[in-house]
Amino acid sequence: MEKTELEIKGLRLTRGSNWVLSVPSFELRKGECLVLFGPNGAGKSTFLRIAALLEEADSGEIYYQGRLVNDGNRTELGRRAVYLLQKPVFFKGTVRDNLLLGLKFRRLESSEQEKRLEAISRLFQLEPYLDRSPFELSGGEKQRVHLARAFIIQPDFLFLDEPFNGLDVDLKDLLLEDFSRIRKSTGTTTILVTHNRDEAAFLADRIMVMIDGEIVQAGPVEEVFSRPATPDISRLLGHETLVEGIAVGEEQGLLKISAHGQTIQAYGSALPGQRVILTFRPEEVILTKDRPRTSVRNWFYGPVEEIKSFDRMILVSVNCGFNLKALISRASLEELNLQPGEQVWAGIKASALTVAAP
Amino acid sequence: MSLPELLQITWLSLTVSGLAVLLAFLTGLPSAIWLYLREFRGKRFIISLINTGMGLPPVVIGLFIALLFWRNGPLGFLQLIYTPAAMVIAQFIIAFPVVAGLSFVAFEQVEAELLLQARALGASRLQMIKILINESRLGQLAALIAAFGGVISEVGAVMMVGGNLKGYTRVLTTSIVQETRMGNFTAAIYLSLVLLALSFTVNWLLTSIQHRGETKWKRPNWK
Repeated sequence: MEKTELEIKGLRLTRGSNWVLSVPSFELRKGECLVLFGPNGAGKSTFLRIAALLEEADSGEIYYQGRLVNDGNRTELGRRAVYLLQKPVFFKGTVRDNLLLGLKFRRLESSEQEKRLEAISRLFQLEPYLDRSPFELSGGEKQRVHLARAFIIQPDFLFLDEPFNGLDVDLKDLLLEDFSRIRKSTGTTTILVTHNRDEAAFLADRIMVMIDGEIVQAGPVEEVFSRPATPDISRLLGHETLVEGIAVGEEQGLLKISAHGQTIQAYGSALPGQRVILTFRPEEVILTKDRPRTSVRNWFYGPVEEIKSFDRMILVSVNCGFNLKALISRASLEELNLQPGEQVWAGIKASALTVAAP
Repeated sequence: MSLPELLQITWLSLTVSGLAVLLAFLTGLPSAIWLYLREFRGKRFIISLINTGMGLPPVVIGLFIALLFWRNGPLGFLQLIYTPAAMVIAQFIIAFPVVAGLSFVAFEQVEAELLLQARALGASRLQMIKILINESRLGQLAALIAAFGGVISEVGAVMMVGGNLKGYTRVLTTSIVQETRMGNFTAAIYLSLVLLALSFTVNWLLTSIQHRGETKWKRPNWK
């Protein structure tokens, strides 16, 4: 088993008469990216700040690398953690000054500072901005500087509070990929807070769902997304289907993925042999009893496991080797006359699938 | 008035007020930091006291210091009455609340999130205080400018505790009063011009430091 880098025991925080956080136990393994997922106001940020020793809980113990760190004395060990606020705030001076600040706090030798600055600004493509004021940068550039000043410290733990919030989609995708690549190459143990599913699916080695100050489910991202433990979590996750597979090759611009003994086609790119996660939304799925001849590329066959009624829509769970969810109208359900246990074809277009590298 | 006499008076004005402001800075800034960092009962009361202190009439402070240092007063044994040292003390008391009060306001203008981020990047307590001071530099220098402007131009306190003794405790402001009383308006006007020039030079220096290394902002077009 991998080493436990961070451990929290018996954490409790109350404000006034109601408690805000209750986490009996929490573990973070070396090198992993743990996504703390949950709705706004669930206590994710508070939990993160407590773990980063920036706020105190009413009770509980926090261990970094096996040593108790929340005993009031902020030790050198506490400095191995870096926390980034959701909103990037900058200090007076240039981008360079802002990047170097964390190293100055640690009194690193100036030659080492320069070396790291060079490497990190190359990694985050910040070279052209080093002598500019961070206040003149665009939102995406600011976010890069924000992330870079954490990585330059080479922390043992990185605590990130919604670092990709408020960026437009294109920028966000780019930054997400860069972040994921840099995080993996540096092997930085990370806890990332988000309420965005795509981010969670893309970045998480493991996901923890937090609702009302409690961790309600934890596990590999595929497991949590495809088998939410409670209706609350299910609603939170939006019933997205997740399939894990292995890329086998590309043909006519389509990526072929082998998953659960079937070949799935999707738009995306991955090297053959690479592990990928496919996601699709339940409203994109077509259900039929006879396999039709249409342009739809991917068909799965399996028994209906559950039919759940929402206002006007019906959520149908089909077991095709993985748990597939389809959202169809009441009229289509009546037309299909589906019953639990019945075999059904589920179709999904290649373009409706999202491919992500886990 | 001879030139050496003028130079001596100008120099005394500069050193007395400069020293008073320096002392006020060395004590006022740490006081403001302490006040900023600590939460306690009566904090607002202290802040209100300091703010009141900023507006205290110099003659009232002069009276207070004079009573204190009077030959048979509680600190009379120090024999400081009618000395430059007493003038420095009086002006220090005028300048202190200005420095402490305006520095405190400057600290409060620094975004709390910025300090949290500094902490989260690994700043020690002392390093956070450095960040706090650096981020509020404009405000700190504004405090110094206000304090120096207040003491270099005041006449009530230095007159009462210094006594305007020729060649010993006579400064620019007290000389202006003296010359005007004697009907030497030309001398009074020249002295006033020297005082203004001195005040301008010091403020110009402080303002230059204040805006050193500042990014040139694109300001909105007001037209």
